[in-house]
Amino acid sequence: MDKNSKKFTAMRLHLSFLFSLLVFAATAQIKITGHISIAPDNESAIGATVAVKGISSGAITDVDGNFSIQVPDRKAILVFSYTGYTTQEQEVGDRNVFTIMLAEDASQLNEVIVTGYGTEKRSNISGSVSTVSAEEIAERPILRVEQALQGRTAGVQVAQNSGSPGSTLSVRIRGVGTINNADPLYIVDGIPVDGLDFLNPNDIENINVLKDAASAAIYGSRGANGVVLITTKGGKRNQEGRISYESYYGVQRAGRLLDLLDAREYATLQNEAYIAAGKTPLPEFANPEYLGKGTDWQEAIFQKAPIASHQLTFSGGSERSAYTVSGNYFSQDGIVGGGKANFQRATVRVNGVHDVKKWLTIGNNLGFTWLKRDGLTENSQYNSPLIRALNMDPITPIRKADGSFAYSNYSSTDIANPVNGIEQTHSTWRSNRLVGSVYGELKLAKGLTFRSALSIDATFATQRSFNPKYDLSNIPSLSEAPAAEKALVNSVGIGNNTWRNWQAENVLTWQKNFNEKHDLTLIAGTTALANRFDASGGSNTNLPSNDPKDAYIGNTIDPIASQSAYQWANESSLFSYFSKINYGFNNTYLFSATFRADGSSRFGKNNRFGYFPSASVGWIVSHEDFWKVKAISFFKIRASWGQNGNDRIGDYSFTTVVNNGQNYTFGNGEIITNGAVSLTSANPDLKWETSTQTDIGLDLELFDGRLNFTTDYYVKKTSDMLFAAPIPLIAGTAAPVQNVATAENRGLELALGYRNAYRAFKYTIGGNIAFVESKVTGLGRGGEPVLSGFVQSANANAAKTDVGQPIASFFGYVTDGVFQNQSEIEAAAFHSTGTVPGDIRFKDLDGNGLIDANDRAYIGNPTPRFTYGINADFEWRNLTVNLFFQGTQGNDVYVNTTRFDFSYVNRPSSALNRWTGEGTSNSEPRVSLTDPNQNARVSDRFVEDGSYLRLKNLQVGYTLPRTWIKKMNFQKFKVYITGQNLLTVTKYSGLDPEIGNIGGSLEIGIDRGFYPQARTIMGGLSLTF
Amino acid sequence: MKNTILCLLCLSFVACQKEFLDKKPIVGITEENFYRTEADAIAAVNAAYATLQFQLSPAGHFRWFWGDIMSDDTDKGGSGDNDAANLLQLETFKGPTNTDLLESEWSANFEGIYRANVVLEKVPAIEMDPKLKARILGEAKVIRAWNFYNLVTMFGGVPFVDHVLAPSEYNLPRVSADQIWDLVERDLVEASADLWKRSDYTEADLGRITLGTAQSLLVKTYLWRKKWAEAKATAEKIVTSNEYQLVPNYADIFTLDGENNIESVFEIQYMNASGGNWGKNNANEGSFTNVFQRARGQFAGFGFNIPTQNFVDEFFKEGFEDPRLKSTVFRIGDPMGDRGIFTIAATGDLPFKYYTKKYFNNKSEDAPFGDPSPNGGSNDRVIRFSDVLLMHAEAAFQTGDETSAKTSLNKVRARVGIPDVTATGPELLEAIYRERRIELGLEAHRFFDLVRTGKAPQVLNSQGFKSGTHEVFPIPQSQILATGGILLQNPGY
Repeated sequence: MDKNSKKFTAMRLHLSFLFSLLVFAATAQIKITGHISIAPDNESAIGATVAVKGISSGAITDVDGNFSIQVPDRKAILVFSYTGYTTQEQEVGDRNVFTIMLAEDASQLNEVIVTGYGTEKRSNISGSVSTVSAEEIAERPILRVEQALQGRTAGVQVAQNSGSPGSTLSVRIRGVGTINNADPLYIVDGIPVDGLDFLNPNDIENINVLKDAASAAIYGSRGANGVVLITTKGGKRNQEGRISYESYYGVQRAGRLLDLLDAREYATLQNEAYIAAGKTPLPEFANPEYLGKGTDWQEAIFQKAPIASHQLTFSGGSERSAYTVSGNYFSQDGIVGGGKANFQRATVRVNGVHDVKKWLTIGNNLGFTWLKRDGLTENSQYNSPLIRALNMDPITPIRKADGSFAYSNYSSTDIANPVNGIEQTHSTWRSNRLVGSVYGELKLAKGLTFRSALSIDATFATQRSFNPKYDLSNIPSLSEAPAAEKALVNSVGIGNNTWRNWQAENVLTWQKNFNEKHDLTLIAGTTALANRFDASGGSNTNLPSNDPKDAYIGNTIDPIASQSAYQWANESSLFSYFSKINYGFNNTYLFSATFRADGSSRFGKNNRFGYFPSASVGWIVSHEDFWKVKAISFFKIRASWGQNGNDRIGDYSFTTVVNNGQNYTFGNGEIITNGAVSLTSANPDLKWETSTQTDIGLDLELFDGRLNFTTDYYVKKTSDMLFAAPIPLIAGTAAPVQNVATAENRGLELALGYRNAYRAFKYTIGGNIAFVESKVTGLGRGGEPVLSGFVQSANANAAKTDVGQPIASFFGYVTDGVFQNQSEIEAAAFHSTGTVPGDIRFKDLDGNGLIDANDRAYIGNPTPRFTYGINADFEWRNLTVNLFFQGTQGNDVYVNTTRFDFSYVNRPSSALNRWTGEGTSNSEPRVSLTDPNQNARVSDRFVEDGSYLRLKNLQVGYTLPRTWIKKMNFQKFKVYITGQNLLTVTKYSGLDPEIGNIGGSLEIGIDRGFYPQARTIMGGLSLTF
Repeated sequence: MKNTILCLLCLSFVACQKEFLDKKPIVGITEENFYRTEADAIAAVNAAYATLQFQLSPAGHFRWFWGDIMSDDTDKGGSGDNDAANLLQLETFKGPTNTDLLESEWSANFEGIYRANVVLEKVPAIEMDPKLKARILGEAKVIRAWNFYNLVTMFGGVPFVDHVLAPSEYNLPRVSADQIWDLVERDLVEASADLWKRSDYTEADLGRITLGTAQSLLVKTYLWRKKWAEAKATAEKIVTSNEYQLVPNYADIFTLDGENNIESVFEIQYMNASGGNWGKNNANEGSFTNVFQRARGQFAGFGFNIPTQNFVDEFFKEGFEDPRLKSTVFRIGDPMGDRGIFTIAATGDLPFKYYTKKYFNNKSEDAPFGDPSPNGGSNDRVIRFSDVLLMHAEAAFQTGDETSAKTSLNKVRARVGIPDVTATGPELLEAIYRERRIELGLEAHRFFDLVRTGKAPQVLNSQGFKSGTHEVFPIPQSQILATGGILLQNPGY
């Protein structure tokens, strides 16, 4: 038989199979009608499903809750279901009309959880997975997807890396387990993606976080930092078409501002500082009282800023297909910089699923995003608008009399007029990104499916920047303003970046139930993934026009020779085999195991493939016959073990480049002759970082599911962490990165939820808390501690990562009050020859009579001891109130917002408590132009408790009664008011205690003039028809 | 059909897996895509040459630190005892084992070995002129041998690094000094077969390692190993090659014009270009020796390596002032080139009566741009033809050929116009040794000559030298720690 005829036979087989089904359906025609309503108010259920058990056909209820369905015979069982309500089953019997009221399902056990390459019922999961549903996202308009995880999921610590629109968040699952990249793996509809800024939060159906190694191990070499699985909304089958529109508009304001010195206070302290340094005070400060309050630079840079979102969604489905098409436009200005910090995002999503044949389903999840972000310098201790506003002297006005910007007579570098700085910033990132997949699913036999998906993630992004010409000098011909206040030549730059990633995935799934007792699922598959990144760009100086619109390199008049250009490209690939087995016995004993083999181009040739196993077990004690505790309806004990990898080790770390310039001189004329060699050795043994995690957990449901409780304890050990530990010099090269360091995280997570109703008053209260302790346990032989957190005002690093210590702990001197008089100085260890009363006394920790580098100690830990979230949702008839709190406890912040390395900068008003004579202060040192004692050195003076509790969100919503809206053909009409960050309880003195990590895993909790999060009030509406 | 699709999909991915996962850097030269052309081969060996220039890696590890200061010829000098205090400790044989001076010496030599090993591993596969390829491999072998020669004479046995080490091999233990000497000898013998004669090179390649370089280092190696006959025969090959001559005027050798002259057998090249860079900077082509040895005060140097009275006295032992003294040492009242007259006051009132002269450079010879002070242009004369003659004399004496010994010895003496030595037996040997001290004075030979000839315990006794310990320096403590104790310290330290 040739190939074609074989194919033909196969098709005929399928056709006859289909035909027989049709005949079968045609011969049995009993029409059943009815009405479905929901408890407690007997309200009609719109879109509830009625299905005949064992047959995939079904019907849905219309806007009045009515349905009509054909059943084959009187023995057929009807299944009535509605999301959030308990499913009911009834035999048709001799009835032709059914009136059904569905009870609310308090239990979350039937919730379907997306796990790696499949779904499972929550009750049957033996790993540790946290979920955020669309409902939870909906009650809180979030700007970025990561925010949905914050405070919602125990053990997922989310912190804003900046309050500026469109900025990233740091997401840490179960603490920081590596000194390298600690970001989790994000998978959107099966597609691994880098960053979530492209994703419209309104499109999200649910987010599942795979926290323990056993759950994440199916992602092998990428799972060590946890996995975040995001599913976007698809249409529902058998659902009438719907159009919904959601929109909100809000105004953002700064939360709190710092209390800084005003002009009088500033001048007073400057006078003292001059005298203390033996200099004559400035004549213009002779009478501080005359100076008034001066300029409030914070007022000058902060502003009200709008935020808006519009979303239009079309969704629906027939028996054999379903679709969602949505469009969204989001725009946000910054509370610093306004439109200069604008972020806009437009997204289009088309998700669909279609049964082409009985045995073939195809589908697509396609999302296109356009985004634009205007960027200011953020969180920089050097020249961000924030650091400038906090440090700029209050004497200088914002503008001169003629309306042009003023410059400071006291500043020299870095600290320049922040308003002008914002004005002169023209930096825009534009990105077009397509993330999508198409898939086909073949039903090969009963319970056996094969799924093949091809996906792409392509980003085309452009960074344009223009630095205009300006000169704030009073007398332009003299150009006397300091260098930071003028740019005499303008310049233009462009950078083009493309990321092109594709993935092909094949998964075979076999599901079978034996004898009603054994539930078995087997999954096996392969994935091929390739990434390529290309960057190119250029810049040049001197445009005749100073208009940003004309800022193109082609318009510059400087010669080609002054242009710069760059081009870069790199790529990586991953090929994997994976498998999973889930086995449940009697719905009581659960077992799951996974195995993945990852081959990665990033690994050295001696370690091309990594192997990642895991196993987990669960015992649902409450399903045992002996379980008699009625109050506890569900009781499950879980344990899991697994190994994961972290493959974010750079694309070519195993290799080394050849360095030119290793020259020698030859010849009579002493000609410098090029030599070339690799200065770092290659490491063909390079591999992923390995994390081994053990988890034990408990899931409880009490009082018919009204109260649920989950807890997990885990120990996560990271080994083979990449680190360039020093190597013996016989190598003759610099140390390559090697898999030598180790770390350990331990943690406890608790989550509790309670929901109940009293007549029409329904409420849900939930909370979660996660304790985590992370420390480095080894840095390889001879491994020196890693220093991070550079603090310019002290010209030193504030953080240190060393064996036995939490990651990036603050490390510095320990203060011991202020020297009150000369005899105290003499009695203390030697500080410096210039030390005088009023200077800080530091502790001589090593007791050698000298304050030196050996007197530094660990003075703070930027990682919280625990993080928590509390949510409370109240519903009374059509009114809903949602409260959501989130907080951290036990983390320190290093305050680096005053540039002490400059003597003219402004300071917080706490400087008024300075030492001015014996007994005046024992904490705030004297002021002086010079600092021979180095009072500003890295010390516990600048370490503050960064714990906070924040009312992240408060929403009051009102759903218009159905009777009103029915006439207008609306299915739903909700209006709401939301307030974000309305209340923050903290001892921290800075603008915002919620400081993420800016610039890598080891830059945690250092406030360098943090762009604070806004306090936002928004009004919104949501309607469906 | 479904099965067909399934199989096709699975197969298509498994089949191309190996190439799929093999991703090399797209931009930038990596080891995989370098070493393809003749130019690459030359660049590779040049990089090995560059390590010869290393003097601060990152601390000082000048050849004259070890060869001169450790000997009876010079004292440390500097601004006082605290200026490079570790060097004084080493000089008085109270040497700390954790000094970065020794670590830098260790590091620079192994860096040279690594780069030579890269050449020896990568260049053979390059398609190029076989004669040039042979020469390049020969150059690399001599560079490797030279670095091991330095290591074995400084530290004794060291790890045997005859290939580019993989990270898993970084903890090699030490082998015996004999095994290192075997490697040095083998490399030099092999290089001698392939290297070009000095006269085969073009002008542009002046300064490259030649057949003579390899052979003269081999003679030195044979002397250390007391292989007298081999030493004598090899030295004779150099002499009869007629590639090298003594320059007529001894004083000319150490001028800038005297660089790479007819007497030069092995000379490390420096030039005064490029700005001052402290620390190991591969782009720096200048020498720090000039500034380190120049007097302080108006001479703008650091005043290290101060000749001892004992050394100066040696020049008067024959009843007249050896003419080479005035080319070797500055005495009070001497003009220091164009920088002025040497007075105690002009040197910043430091108590030194002598300064070294061989590596003195005139102000007019300072770098014409950048920060001139650290960058001298003086080449480091490692092996001169007079050294070869004196080594020949020594080897000949040891084989019983006193006639040849005297011939070679007296050639060196005749150049400076002093009478022939007529002594025989042990006195002749002493005369050869003494001639080395004078002829090669302040050229970093003395300490190693004393150790090699077994005279160190006696001569350096007053400095604190103990026989059985101080023939070698301590292994840098940092390296013992870095290998977790796999490297063992030398006895007595």
